[in-house]
Amino acid sequence: MKVGRRSFLRSASAALVGLSLKGGHPIEGSFVNDNFQMGHLLRDRAPFAAPKRNEKVSVVIVGGGIAGLSAAWRLHKRGFRDFVLLEMNAQAGGNARWGENEISAYPWAAHYVPVPGRQAVYVRELFEDLGVLQDGHWNERYFCFAPQERLFLFGRWQDGIEPAVGLRQKDRDQFQRLEDLLANHRASGGFTIPLELGRSQKDAELDRISFAEWLGRQGFDSRLLLWYMNYACRDDYGALAGATSAWAGIHYFASRPEEEKGPLTWPEGNGWITRRLLERVGEQVRTGQMVHRIVPSARGLSVFAGDMEYQADFVIFAAPSFLAPYLMEGFPHLHDFVYSPWLTANLTLERLPDSRGAEPAWDTVFLDSPTLGYVDATHQSLRTHIDRTVWTFYWALADGEPADGRRLLLSTDWNYWKEAILHDLERVHSDIRQCVSRIDVMRMGHAMIRPAVGSIFSEERRRITRRDPRSRILFANSDLSGISIFEEAQYHGVEAAQVVLEQLGGRR
Amino acid sequence: MGVLLFISVLLVAACGLIYELVAGTLASYLLGDSVLQFSTVIGTYLFAMGLGSALSRFLVRGLVYQFVWIELMLGVIGGFSSAALMLAFAYTQGFGLLLYALVIVMGVLVGLEIPLLMRIVRGRYQFRDVIAHVLTFDYLGALGASLLFPILLVPRLGLVRSAMLFGLVNVAVALWSTFLFGDQLVRARGLRIACLAVFCVLGAGMLNAKLITAAAEDNIYADDIIFSRDTKYQHIVLTRFKDDLRLFLNSHLQFSSRDEYRYHEALVHPGLSSIPAARRVLVLGGGDGLAVREILKYPQVESVTLVDLDPEMTRIFSTNPMLTALNHDSLRSPKVHVINADAFPWLDSNTDSFDFIVVDFPDPTSYSLGKLYTTAFYRAAARHLSVQGMMVVQSTSPMFARDSFWCIVATLKQAGLHTYPFHVYVPSFGEWGFVLAGLHDYHPPAALPAGLRFASVQGLPALFQFPPDMALLPMPPNRLNTQVLVRTYENDWKDISH
Repeated sequence: MKVGRRSFLRSASAALVGLSLKGGHPIEGSFVNDNFQMGHLLRDRAPFAAPKRNEKVSVVIVGGGIAGLSAAWRLHKRGFRDFVLLEMNAQAGGNARWGENEISAYPWAAHYVPVPGRQAVYVRELFEDLGVLQDGHWNERYFCFAPQERLFLFGRWQDGIEPAVGLRQKDRDQFQRLEDLLANHRASGGFTIPLELGRSQKDAELDRISFAEWLGRQGFDSRLLLWYMNYACRDDYGALAGATSAWAGIHYFASRPEEEKGPLTWPEGNGWITRRLLERVGEQVRTGQMVHRIVPSARGLSVFAGDMEYQADFVIFAAPSFLAPYLMEGFPHLHDFVYSPWLTANLTLERLPDSRGAEPAWDTVFLDSPTLGYVDATHQSLRTHIDRTVWTFYWALADGEPADGRRLLLSTDWNYWKEAILHDLERVHSDIRQCVSRIDVMRMGHAMIRPAVGSIFSEERRRITRRDPRSRILFANSDLSGISIFEEAQYHGVEAAQVVLEQLGGRR
Repeated sequence: MGVLLFISVLLVAACGLIYELVAGTLASYLLGDSVLQFSTVIGTYLFAMGLGSALSRFLVRGLVYQFVWIELMLGVIGGFSSAALMLAFAYTQGFGLLLYALVIVMGVLVGLEIPLLMRIVRGRYQFRDVIAHVLTFDYLGALGASLLFPILLVPRLGLVRSAMLFGLVNVAVALWSTFLFGDQLVRARGLRIACLAVFCVLGAGMLNAKLITAAAEDNIYADDIIFSRDTKYQHIVLTRFKDDLRLFLNSHLQFSSRDEYRYHEALVHPGLSSIPAARRVLVLGGGDGLAVREILKYPQVESVTLVDLDPEMTRIFSTNPMLTALNHDSLRSPKVHVINADAFPWLDSNTDSFDFIVVDFPDPTSYSLGKLYTTAFYRAAARHLSVQGMMVVQSTSPMFARDSFWCIVATLKQAGLHTYPFHVYVPSFGEWGFVLAGLHDYHPPAALPAGLRFASVQGLPALFQFPPDMALLPMPPNRLNTQVLVRTYENDWKDISH
């Protein structure tokens, strides 16, 4: 066999790399919070045991994510206690779950809420309840501290994620033109949070093409601009711009006023909100309760979970809507509900790695990385000296079809993702392997609803969002909006609770 | 004999190059501008070698005898050249003069070596072989020396000992020559004794090189470093020059014992004297115990809580005799409670109230330190003020960092506090600023503790006057989510240093 000079050099350098790795300490960790086994039982219509006990309760909330917890919050706040919330996982919170180790609390998914505008009435009300908003003033400790975001590109750091380094005149012109276009959409009032308040037929055209196509039609071809647009879609929707409705792409930028304060955030991300909600409604929350069947009954609905049958007047269905056909006989299969697969990981760092001279920021992103970068859990700490920390690493598997991403998640082991994550981080933090002691990985096949082309104005979506009290089942998941953000989940949860309260209020 | 002869050519050449490199390196170390220093040193050295070669024609008799003496002289001059230059730099004004005098003398001597050697051996070989062999080994020696010098000699031996080592080599060659060319010598014995004597002198120099280096360096760096330690949090360096002790944290000067009384008297007395019945005082930062020393001048003060991040800092200022003499052993006073904690979380976790709070942190050079200069921090601190309480905040220089100073004032105002900015001249710092802040108005004190060296009741009003070049600038407050102060501070000092 002839060994070429190139291949010799390659294997020689690989050998050297191997030698240097041997010196590092072992990195521990595993997959955590896996729940696809339970989901697959439903999908495969596995037989479930007959109930041993039954309980009469006025309202059953299915799903303990932000939508379900918000419905519970609203019921509880109105003095209504005759409800239970059933959560499949061991921990409530859904995409606002959190973890904690001896260093810090850290998020498992959503990690911030932008300062809500005037229209987000329920969010503002919640934040007043939680002391985030006091007498019209936001608690300054919950604003994300400076420096907030940094992007690594062309061998250096910049503040903020919108590329500002290495732009040619053409790039600058296109960023400016896009900003002008988005400002018009912002001013039009058609792009609001909650989305339902502003959504208007006059923008329906935008839902018929992808965001990538819209950008192309507007003549945008700047590489950095398109990277940024794709980053935004991956970050909020888990999809590339080509798989995202143009309406949703524009909504990302046009739904919020330009503001300087930065988002509201906590060490455990939106887990902080989950914790505060659980402090209020925790007594009604039952975790580890997988609902496997919902059938009409004399009273209203029977909800089967584990060995329990709950006889309820109303069900607030706050779990992902795509599960409904698997739980309810005769419920039509849903076509307009596409979900993005995701992976998050929490890395325990025994010391801060070499960051090429930059001070740590809250959110770190690398240009052209397939991942979304990481968020530093100790960033909101008031300490001046931080030696150990936790990074939450985000990776939307946006390339290819969602089913491909799900298959990849199921067919790979923890080591595969450990290496992939470290490999990505090593591009900037060369000594990362010497700093990390643990990597826990959470895989989510249906992490968030994807605002695919046509999904925002979908007739099917409108039908199940109608919340007709006669059906006794009220949908509440954020997937009703077509985008998965805290505000939408909370809006639908509270709205569903409102319908229930109106109905039951009449009878009590 | 041939091989031995040419090895001595090689060694002689190596010595010559080493002396040249030592001179060039020292000149660029000590004078800077290495391109200029190396160029002029090498140029002069080569010219002097040419001069030596030219002069070699005047040596006609007793060539071996002359050669041995040249080697001995080179051994002494070259061997001690490095030490002499360092001492000259440290103790005299004549470094440049000595440098070029040495370069010329060494150059001339080195220039004499090769022509003399060639003439000594010319009877034994054909002329063309002499030229070829001598020059070959000459250049080989130069190559070896030029590689050895940066890779092995400077890092392992240092400049002083490297030069001496090659001085010994010169002497060895001299001694060896008395045997090699013994047939051409009449009085070899005397020469050998001289060789041994020089050998001993250089050997002694080698053994004591550390002393020479230390003596020189002590004078190059104005002050003795008496303490230097990397703690978990910072790099602490203490220096002393005569009666002046200086503390540096991460290379930033924290105080000079000659004028720190101005800083600490101004920090403590205008505020603390204005609170008649102050009993409980909190000091945040200030692990040097100097502010505490001033606070303990008030007999009515019952307790002083000092919160400093770094246990090493409070430890050395409680134990080192020079430092406890400076802070009057304040940290070991029974009234003083030292807590090693991060100040901001400590304020949140503690519920005590204090009549006077001293906020004495390093300047806001980073986002982490910047947190200690925010509205959120001052609100947290203000929650610990008693009804009559006031705080004073170290606020960087209103002269050099005018924007930063007024940004800190704006931040305290935004936190709902009444502010009374003032400034003081501290020679080792320059014009320095503080802000008194409280939930009520400030009434200047009618009396100050006895025995102060700087602060006086009559002098106080002037401290609160800001001349136009330090006057109020409208600045936004510093908040956790903007940290405008860190950027402002960076720009302020950039403007000064460029």
